[in-house]
Amino acid sequence: MTEKWVYWLKEVGTEHNDLVGKKCANLGELTRAGFHVPPGFALSVHAYDRFMKETEATPRLLEFLSTFQADPDSVADTVKYDSASREMRSIVEAIRMPADMEEDIRSRYSELCRVAGRENLFVATRSAGPVSHPGQYETYLNVCGSNDVVKNVIRVWSSTFNTRSIIARARLGLPVHYDPIGVAVLTMVDAKAAGVMFTVNPVNGDESKVAIESSFGFGEAVVSGNVTPDRYLVDKVTLDIDERVVSDKGCEFAYNPQTREMEYVELPPDKRKVACLEDREILELTRIAKKVEAHFGCPQDIEYAVSMSLPFPESIFLVQARPESVWGKKKKESVLGGKTGWDLLFEKATTPVKLKLD
Amino acid sequence: MAEEKLGRFPYPHEFQVPGSLEGWEEMYPPQRLFSKDREEWEKNHFWFQDKIHAPEPMYPLDDIFQEAWQIALSGYTTRVFCIPPAQGIAQRMMGCYMYITPLEPPPPEVIQEKAALFGKRVPFVFQNYQRLWEEWLKKFHKLGAEMKELKVPQDLGNYVPDEQVMPSPRGYTDAAELMAAFNTIVNQIFRAWQYHFEYLNLAYLAYLMFVDTARKLFPGIKESTIGKMVAGADVSMFRPEEELCRLSRLAASQSPVRNILKKAGPAEDKIKELKGNDAGRKWLEELERVKDPWFSVSCGSGWYHYEGSWIDKMDIPFSYMQSYVERIEKGESIERSLSEISDERERIVGEYKSLIKTDADRKSFDDAYDVVRSIYKYAEDHLFWVEHWLHTIWFSKIREFGGVLTRYGLLKSPEDIYLFNRFEVPMLLEDLATSWALGIGAPTRGKYWMEKAAKREKIIEAAKKWSPIPALGVPPAEVSEPFTIMLWGVTGDTVGEWLKGGKAEPKDLNELKGFASSAGIVEGPARVLKLLGDVVLLQPGEIMVAPCTNPSWAPVFTKIKAAVTDIGGLTSHAAIVSREYGLPSVTGTGLATSVIKTGDIIRVDGSAGTVKILKRA
Repeated sequence: MTEKWVYWLKEVGTEHNDLVGKKCANLGELTRAGFHVPPGFALSVHAYDRFMKETEATPRLLEFLSTFQADPDSVADTVKYDSASREMRSIVEAIRMPADMEEDIRSRYSELCRVAGRENLFVATRSAGPVSHPGQYETYLNVCGSNDVVKNVIRVWSSTFNTRSIIARARLGLPVHYDPIGVAVLTMVDAKAAGVMFTVNPVNGDESKVAIESSFGFGEAVVSGNVTPDRYLVDKVTLDIDERVVSDKGCEFAYNPQTREMEYVELPPDKRKVACLEDREILELTRIAKKVEAHFGCPQDIEYAVSMSLPFPESIFLVQARPESVWGKKKKESVLGGKTGWDLLFEKATTPVKLKLD
Repeated sequence: MAEEKLGRFPYPHEFQVPGSLEGWEEMYPPQRLFSKDREEWEKNHFWFQDKIHAPEPMYPLDDIFQEAWQIALSGYTTRVFCIPPAQGIAQRMMGCYMYITPLEPPPPEVIQEKAALFGKRVPFVFQNYQRLWEEWLKKFHKLGAEMKELKVPQDLGNYVPDEQVMPSPRGYTDAAELMAAFNTIVNQIFRAWQYHFEYLNLAYLAYLMFVDTARKLFPGIKESTIGKMVAGADVSMFRPEEELCRLSRLAASQSPVRNILKKAGPAEDKIKELKGNDAGRKWLEELERVKDPWFSVSCGSGWYHYEGSWIDKMDIPFSYMQSYVERIEKGESIERSLSEISDERERIVGEYKSLIKTDADRKSFDDAYDVVRSIYKYAEDHLFWVEHWLHTIWFSKIREFGGVLTRYGLLKSPEDIYLFNRFEVPMLLEDLATSWALGIGAPTRGKYWMEKAAKREKIIEAAKKWSPIPALGVPPAEVSEPFTIMLWGVTGDTVGEWLKGGKAEPKDLNELKGFASSAGIVEGPARVLKLLGDVVLLQPGEIMVAPCTNPSWAPVFTKIKAAVTDIGGLTSHAAIVSREYGLPSVTGTGLATSVIKTGDIIRVDGSAGTVKILKRA
């Protein structure tokens, strides 16, 4: 009997990091904890393993690699890796998935369509590496129809052969032809706005704040830094919106039905400087962020999307949560130095206040 | 101001008040004026207009409170609790407005000396505050009762009555008693102001310490949140309004009373009508029972004689009750929920505490919080008893002195007594006593006093039309005096704003910055209440713009959309009440009442601390 290679998101949790990849495991964990996550399923590393080993993929890749020679530490050889990557990806993407896998994926996709109440649902096929390498592998958005889902799952797998990844593996002396990852197949949120939030003020480490960044359209715009998002700083305790900066967002990242690709679309001038979140959405996001942080027990870096078709508050989805990487790692040190109330009072009474004048 | 130099305001001695104020100096005693003989010292200090205690031109007799606090506040800082680097706050009058300056720290050896005394005396207060407060209240009540009982003879009579001569002679006439009574009441008010500062300096210091502590832990914590953490729910200053709510509920439950209270018209008529039925009489009894002390609350700040108190302007509490009764009928809630306020406080403190990263810091925070909570209530409680209750008694007594001077032709009306300072009033009383004693036909200088009063009234009117300069001299580099920072909100930023405002003509300014004291954003028409009596003009849905507010205005906050003040930090009255009512407020803008005009459409951003004029009226 083969290992189980596909799971509904609610069947996995953080304990399955190595099985389905960190992103799937976290989304599963969030789903299980009752957060609003787009419905989806996860392909484990065993799915990758089966695909690579039960088909022609591995022998063909090995065959290709047997004649390939380049130095991963040489900048000049990057060109060679580039063309190798193209070759390897076209080998992988030309291969059919084992029939039972394909059938299972198709039926799970139908189930997602049934749950969403629509045919030809848009889904995202996202890579999920067992160890988080953000952006290392690829993600395909607005995948529609079961043929495309199957095709794009293979494309995600083949992204383990993108130039960056094969060079990285070659440098570390790891097998170049094999790097099992998980894949998440997630219902797309028809995002009117999306972005990132931190459960700590990234500027000064103040853990009493949630910092929210948001832009029109899909969240990639914010994550990639391609637009200047709106920024909000919300107090976790009082839920006051302490700071709000509405930026000129320029463009949004949106789906083009003609080309069937995601693209940056210039916003009309009257929309560019409009806040892309309502106050109630900002506050709901803050409440959710606090719960996510409480669930994982440390400051979080969370991606979210706000659906344009669902009513508030069901419109708000979490699409990613991971430990915040800067302040979360700092050692927790005392800032008051063990002083008593009286020490602090005496200190205050003896220290004049400087007036800073421009 | 054209004469303004970069980064400083004009020096007191180069500053000219408008010609319409000519002669203003003679209203105030010489020690309260900028003077040639102290020029060097005065030039070396930074003087800013005290809009908290003297937002309006100062009537000479009202100035007594200012004199009294200068001595009391300063003395408690320098000589009683000995806050090491802090010294007192000096006052000067300029064109009928009061300017103040915090003194620079004393020499290092004095700081050391004071530190030892501070270390001995201050912990004692914190450890015993509950008992000290109870004793304070007792002695303060006693002082108020004595002032209330002070006899001010109204009719000197043609001859002293027999009983003052025999069988056991009193030994002095009512004319002598009248002169003595004024000296007594002056002593009483100075004593009251000594009591006022007994624990206030320490309460403010504790508050500032807690702000620092919270900021170290949470750099972005807003002072308005800290205000919520330390504020008490059950404080004397809120009692008058609570009593109004209670009386309104009582009235609402009985239709004859309810219907009378809902009518428009003066309180006098309503009281007359209430006396006509049983339920009304019962309700009036209840009103009488709470009137003393709780209606002895000023309609303004308590600092000016003409503001009046509820007890002598019953139209005001009755108009509040009229709207309360209507709201009760609509099923709205009118009371502040004390338990909600304290639950909210507990929640905020608890949640912030849980965000502290180390146990050691949590312990320090707890300890700092205990220190501030043990004494902060004083900052909230003393206000009612001194500025409201006792000042109400003072004003009504002073009117008795004004009454007798009017009766004997020294003044045109009793209120004119406020046009003479506390050193001059004894002259008028002596003039009266002398003429009475001399017998029939001895003239007083009534004509002279009346002319003086008329001239001074004109000067004060001219001063009301003048927008005084916010400050004089060179801003200092640092401040160590707790009141300056907390009460007047003097920070580098505020002084910078004053400088900016001083340079631009008010009509050219379109945006003001102040303290973000209650979150939220609203837009609407402004109502500028420059004089506190203008509160009756306020329309529902307007944004109130005032020099500052106080608790007797609380019912107003149910009518307005937002509040903006010239002066006041995050724990000022306007800030506290705005937070309770969930209204945006920006306090301490310095210039709002001179820049904004009634009818201007403004946007108040209580989260950012900005006020923007969108459309001029």
